[in-house]
Amino acid sequence: MVKQKKLSIFSLKASILFILTFFLIILYFYFSSYFEINNVSKAYITNQGDNTVSIIDLETLKTLKTLKVGVAPLGITILQKKKLVFVGNVGTDDISVIDAVNDTLIKTIKLGTAPLSIASNSEETEVYVTDWFQNNVLTISADEMKVTRRLKVGVTPSGIAYNKKYKYQVITNRDANTLEIYNEDDDLVKKIETGNHPFGVYSEGDFAYVANVYDDSVSIINLVDWSKYEFMVGAHPYNVRVHNKIAYVTNTIDDTITIYDLGSKKIIKTLDTGETPENLDFNIKQNLLVVTNWGGDSVSIFDTESFQHIKEIKTGAQSRSFGDFILQ
Amino acid sequence: MKKIIFTLLAILFSTLAFSHGPTPQKVQESVTIAASPEKTWEALKNYSEFEKIMKVRSFKDKLMKAKYELIKTDVPFSDYNAQIRVKKGENDNESVVQWTARFYRTYKLNPPIPEGQDDATAVAAVKEIVGPGLAGFKKSVESQ
Repeated sequence: MVKQKKLSIFSLKASILFILTFFLIILYFYFSSYFEINNVSKAYITNQGDNTVSIIDLETLKTLKTLKVGVAPLGITILQKKKLVFVGNVGTDDISVIDAVNDTLIKTIKLGTAPLSIASNSEETEVYVTDWFQNNVLTISADEMKVTRRLKVGVTPSGIAYNKKYKYQVITNRDANTLEIYNEDDDLVKKIETGNHPFGVYSEGDFAYVANVYDDSVSIINLVDWSKYEFMVGAHPYNVRVHNKIAYVTNTIDDTITIYDLGSKKIIKTLDTGETPENLDFNIKQNLLVVTNWGGDSVSIFDTESFQHIKEIKTGAQSRSFGDFILQ
Repeated sequence: MKKIIFTLLAILFSTLAFSHGPTPQKVQESVTIAASPEKTWEALKNYSEFEKIMKVRSFKDKLMKAKYELIKTDVPFSDYNAQIRVKKGENDNESVVQWTARFYRTYKLNPPIPEGQDDATAVAAVKEIVGPGLAGFKKSVESQ
């Protein structure tokens, strides 16, 4: 009798468990298909020569769409959670905002000045734009989609990066050979010398990384004790990005990228790209590195695990994408 | 009719006004030469005409790609860099030579841009070098 009772409880538990598992499996499939549809990783390439953005599917490695934007698009950043792409048009002095779910242009924000590079804060509430001609950093409210703040900075503000750890805006002043670091309250934390002609900048953790175009080098600047060191790369480096403690640098004149190990402080590899590689970004899930080739009107795609070249894909004319351009 | 002309002019001038900004300019032209890529590449390495204008920065035999810097100084453009590539043509005895130049206009400051220092002037001047340059090289290789 006792045994029988136990058995029936057991079978009851077993059937509940079975039903639960069944439900979980259904839920899993339901949501996984949901995520697949909405989570296609894409690269957004600004083509300065023909006023378009090429949208490339990073799973199939095919161009999904070519979208018309303002004149001479250059800078770009992506709000990953909000799925919005901000593109700066230096010819029409405005920002094109693309909805990355449907890949349609949803808004044009007038600036009245040439936007060079773009970044956003971690919360994705603010978008920062360097204003090349009038030496400002403009803040755009991502909710209001308009300029809400104007910060006067040093001359020729070029690259901009947002440091999440310290909530800093990090800016290169190309013609002054300096890097400026501003905090949340718009106070200048530090102005520090770089190499000659600093352009692209990246910042993560305690460091900022700057490509010095005329020195063929990259400066690494410590944001705590302000110490710095440099390493040599190829000719005319334009931008630098860091992924898994490795720095990747585009050498525009050599048609290569330098891959530099930040731990051992050594160059691991130099890879051939298309003509005039300018900017680069990563797809984290599939370990892809995407490089825009201004001269080749294309992007070069590499595997960041094996450093193997995967494919070169044609884009519009003079592809640049100065900033973060991959929707993860 | 007047209205149409006016509208066209307005469109033309508005696009001209837009073409400012720190934007690198590009001139890319190609010529087909009746010689194998190997022969053309060797000829390019020994061609002295280009070196009157440009200094060789590098030759990459494997990629058949040459990089140049400018040595001419009295030009209406700046920060010029170029590369010349030799690629396969439609058949074995044909090659395509492609010249890509990247440069900026001479005036780098705020608009208004002074006459003769704008993007259009810079592009026209580089085209004057690239087009005849390629034609001269084609003639030289094909007459060998």
